[in-house]
Amino acid sequence: MFFGVLCLNVDGKLLSSDVTHYVIPDWKVVQDYLEILEFPELKGIIFMQTACQSVQHQRGRRMYNKLRSLLKDTRHDCILFANEFQEDCYLPRERGEALEKWQTRSIYNAAVWYYHHCGDKMPIVMVTEDAEAVQQYGSETQGVFVISFKDYLDNFWPDLKAAHELCDSILQSRRERESENQEGHGREYAEHLLPEVLEAGIKSGRYVQGTLNVNKHRAQIEAFVRLQGTSSKDSGLASDILIHGMKARNRAIHGDVVVVELLPKGEWKGRTGALCDNDSEDKVSGEAPSEPMPTGRVVGVLQKNWRDYVVTFPSREEVQCQGRNAQKILVTPWDYRIPKIRISTQQAEALQEFRVVVRIDSWESTSLYPNGHFVRVLGRIGDLEGEIATILVENSILVGPFSEAQLCEMPVNTPEKPWQVSAEEEHQRRDLRRTHLVFSIDPKGCEDVDDALSIRTLSDGDLELGVHIADVTHFVAPNSYVDVEARTRATTYYLADRRYDMLPSALSADLCSLLGGVDRYAVSVMWQLDKTSYEIKAVWYGRTIIRSAYKLCYEAAQELLARNFGVADEIPEFKSLDEKSRQTRLEELAWAVGRLADVARHVRAKRDRCGALELEGMEVRVQLDEKKNIDDLIPKQPLEVHEMVAECMILANHWVARKIWESFPHQALLRQHPPPHQEFFAELRECAAAKGFAIDTRSNKALADSLAKAEDPGDPTVNRLLRSMATQAMSNALYFSTGSCAEEEFQHYGLALDKYTHFTSPIRRYSDIVVHRLLMAAISKDKKTEIKENLLSNKDLEELCRHINNRNRAAQHSQKQSTELFQCMYFKDKDPGTEERCTADGVIYSIRTNGVLVFIPRFGIKGAAYLKNKDGLVMSCGPEGHLEWKPGSLQRFQDKIISTTMGGDSVTLHLFDHVTVRISVQASRCHSDTIRLELVSNKPYEVPSSGLSSPSPLLLKSDLVREVTRCSEEAQLAQEVAVDTSREEYPEYGQTKGRSLYALLEEIRDLALLDVSGDYSI
Amino acid sequence: MAGLELLSDQGYRVDGRRAGELRKIQARMGVFAQADGSAYIEQGNTKALAVVYGPHEIRGSRSRALPDRALVNCQYSSATFSTGERKRRPHGDRKSCEMGLQLRQTFEAAILTQLHPRSQIDIYVQPLRGVVSLQVLQADGGTYAACVNAATLAVLDAGIPMRDFVCACSAGFVDGTALADLSHVEEAAGGPQLALALLPASGQIALLEMDARLHEDHLEWVLEAAAQAARDVHTLLDRVVRQHVHEASILLGD
Repeated sequence: MFFGVLCLNVDGKLLSSDVTHYVIPDWKVVQDYLEILEFPELKGIIFMQTACQSVQHQRGRRMYNKLRSLLKDTRHDCILFANEFQEDCYLPRERGEALEKWQTRSIYNAAVWYYHHCGDKMPIVMVTEDAEAVQQYGSETQGVFVISFKDYLDNFWPDLKAAHELCDSILQSRRERESENQEGHGREYAEHLLPEVLEAGIKSGRYVQGTLNVNKHRAQIEAFVRLQGTSSKDSGLASDILIHGMKARNRAIHGDVVVVELLPKGEWKGRTGALCDNDSEDKVSGEAPSEPMPTGRVVGVLQKNWRDYVVTFPSREEVQCQGRNAQKILVTPWDYRIPKIRISTQQAEALQEFRVVVRIDSWESTSLYPNGHFVRVLGRIGDLEGEIATILVENSILVGPFSEAQLCEMPVNTPEKPWQVSAEEEHQRRDLRRTHLVFSIDPKGCEDVDDALSIRTLSDGDLELGVHIADVTHFVAPNSYVDVEARTRATTYYLADRRYDMLPSALSADLCSLLGGVDRYAVSVMWQLDKTSYEIKAVWYGRTIIRSAYKLCYEAAQELLARNFGVADEIPEFKSLDEKSRQTRLEELAWAVGRLADVARHVRAKRDRCGALELEGMEVRVQLDEKKNIDDLIPKQPLEVHEMVAECMILANHWVARKIWESFPHQALLRQHPPPHQEFFAELRECAAAKGFAIDTRSNKALADSLAKAEDPGDPTVNRLLRSMATQAMSNALYFSTGSCAEEEFQHYGLALDKYTHFTSPIRRYSDIVVHRLLMAAISKDKKTEIKENLLSNKDLEELCRHINNRNRAAQHSQKQSTELFQCMYFKDKDPGTEERCTADGVIYSIRTNGVLVFIPRFGIKGAAYLKNKDGLVMSCGPEGHLEWKPGSLQRFQDKIISTTMGGDSVTLHLFDHVTVRISVQASRCHSDTIRLELVSNKPYEVPSSGLSSPSPLLLKSDLVREVTRCSEEAQLAQEVAVDTSREEYPEYGQTKGRSLYALLEEIRDLALLDVSGDYSI
Repeated sequence: MAGLELLSDQGYRVDGRRAGELRKIQARMGVFAQADGSAYIEQGNTKALAVVYGPHEIRGSRSRALPDRALVNCQYSSATFSTGERKRRPHGDRKSCEMGLQLRQTFEAAILTQLHPRSQIDIYVQPLRGVVSLQVLQADGGTYAACVNAATLAVLDAGIPMRDFVCACSAGFVDGTALADLSHVEEAAGGPQLALALLPASGQIALLEMDARLHEDHLEWVLEAAAQAARDVHTLLDRVVRQHVHEASILLGD
């Protein structure tokens, strides 16, 4: 069919021709209903340039960027038509004509032109909010319909319920806003200053610009502004600026970029050091705050970073107290840091039991709370799926199943039609299938094998070490549907019980997985090493074809390293061989593993010698940070093969980083780990001093050495806690574009390398895909052949890095939150008084004015325990070390806290003391449930010896996950029988049905950890 | 209001041009009968008038005469009404002097001055950008380029031998893309801006000027964009000259 959309778009994005009509929204519709136009169901949308410009000029950058990304997104069937640049469409504005009228007239005129352009075949629907325009143009041209947006939805999309609801809620909130403006209440907040005034103020140094961070634990009172860019140097401020109270915060919301005016020194306040609950809104009384810090008030918001928020409607009783205004309802966001939002809806009754997504529309100075509108329902409160969906929305993670268009791009590999190496590729790639012994070492049962290793002796006696990484970029072309999707996801998300893959499983578990015995494409880095000194003599990068000979697991590789050949029975590749060839092959493999370990040891030693550190492989830990909580405190498994594989990967990453930086000094994607601020180590030093250890934090090496020395023979947790504190004091490693910062800043503190990047896991990280493309371009640059792909410019790359960093952070948060969710579900409905597993041993790792922070090794939980309760009673020591509440007072010192009762008895708790705590769950309707700790005794917890067949002392994380999943499934079954209606509202997750690979991996991890962690549970 | 978008995602500039597109160019030669050569050019809303006298004897102080070649004397004066800022003196201020010097450098490179020793060639140019012919006073960019192009035509009109046309064009750099022939809005945005005068046949550069910071890596692209634009200008100017000669020959009743 001919619907030439020529001259309309440069990206080659075309409107599909199989829709019944094209729709052209008027400027007002684009401004107000963009959210609805974003629905993927709405197809064939033509945005006129006139409408886009009105958004740009009247709705601000945020909205305009949203529109831009919509237009860029190849998954949405919409285009931009530059009507004002088209000779026949352009209409000059007439004398005295209102801007709005002219815009509507232009858009209509362009719509008519477009209709004729498509050969009068495709009906055009122009939707407008202007009733006059409907009257005037409605029947002017046949085939071009002008109707209102509401009518359009009613007539063309009667089944799209979500869009209708959204439309209603937008309409309602707009009406509210208008009526409110007319009423003009008393002012609640000071007006924001004009943008010009703010800009001038920032330049002159009168105001400071920064990002607002609300304190999660005191959301009503405390917020901090982190300074941005140069302003911190000018104003001479070292720390953040405190914003005290909602008035001073002046309608800014967590994450906004704000402009702050400093208050005079006399009005400065200090932050509170006490533990406190968010629910108790009253301030902790009798609390002397710490020393005053710079305090300010917000005078303007430069950039609003509002996103979708998950909220809960008030329960029935609460509604009644708000009853005066039945239309408007105050809902409580899931995130403590977000203020309550006023929603106008008539569905409040129906939505009470659900987690709901809302968006904030505006916050007038006359209103105490922001106005918002209802967007969609996530799921029931307390239901596993609903809560997981909440975590995803709160972290802005969007993961649906892969679409058909995306899956269609995948190569086919079925038993009937197996995937084969194409002759063309065979010609272009270096073939290692016959020359090299390639094998992979991974956890047991692993399906997505990113990397494989090889080593061999060259003819002149030198060694050749090879790292082979799955060639994902061969299958994922830039800007293909899969690529766009992977870029949006940026990483594979691991939650406690499931994972959301970055790439479709056809790639991640099959064609890009370097499985044993099959031909695979790879990108290889190979070094030529000196036979004796292992010095690197030459390095080769390129695309290869490999066939992995063995898929070893870590344990088997470790056995081979120890030349313990009994393990051969466990390696499936050896099963079918006869005894003799088996022996020779085994020798060959054992030699390779041994040599690899040798090389890895040397490389490691060399890194150490160069002033490198031994901080438990920081990078590995940062990766594992995604699995935070429990892993955080468990040192790396002691198997040497782990270190060997990690070392090879680090080496490959380092050399690739050097290569792409040399070829593209201004547009290479590297990873930096900035050195930490010394002041952040203060807490670590103090804590260590309490135990008598001195921690030297001046350099990474000194830190690592002194941490290694700080070992308490009687209590292994001490060292773990200190290490975790050190980790927390450091900033996260980040991706960046080399064009955007100076070369000295490239360094990686944790690994002590001058340049580093991520290259070895393209299956689960988008950054690696970008690096692969850069490496390929660098190779073709060397060969002087034309670079096929368009590389990202520095600016685009910087933006991409920001996106990936942001998504990585979201992945970490969501993982942590989901783990907490599972912990809470595990302890929920258990009676803490009777249930044995609710009592556990804890270690005090921080002292606060009214309590202590406790870490429970058995469950990997960290939490606060109070020594002073709300009635002002303090803990006192009863018989046999049991603690009870009595009136008294608390005294806090650097490393201990003393609670003295009226009677004169006192209890002293030191840092790193072992105590017995009772775990309970504090249920919360609007927020996530939280774990609550209560001190039971100041003696370490003794496992009751009554049950001889006592359960495994260390609770395996996977057990916990499994049990919770089972319970929730049962609950869901029960619910299904009762109510079958709410079924369709559960979001469908297509990827994780049944036993996931991730669960399997977790199990293996737990097994490996058992021997390490088992020793301190008694 | 969001900031001005000099280059949209779809690749359009503010006035609807693509990155490498020129503004509309119209030109006429021989507009004054009294002068030896004259030309008028319009590049978008920028308009310039050039008048050439000479070669003739040195006027004023004889000591200025050069023994081996002609003296090229350029004067630039902007019409007082032509720009956004109003000023009294039409010429002689710093900006005009600088522009005069630049023009002189440009044309000394192009005119075969050694053919006329001890004589003088005067080039007077006057940009008339934003003539008050419309209600709105429009100021538009690319003054230097328009002046050079007008002067080239005027010199040709005067019949003074030159190595080649001198074609000039400006170029800028926005969001990783080189833009040819900047308009006033684009100039005012403050990005790097490069002016290039080219001898198109040989590809030699008569003048290259840029006074903003631009990364070395990008210079090549911007230069190429400006050179391409200058070559495009050459095609247009060549057409104007041929047209002019054609008309003249008809008038002379060959």
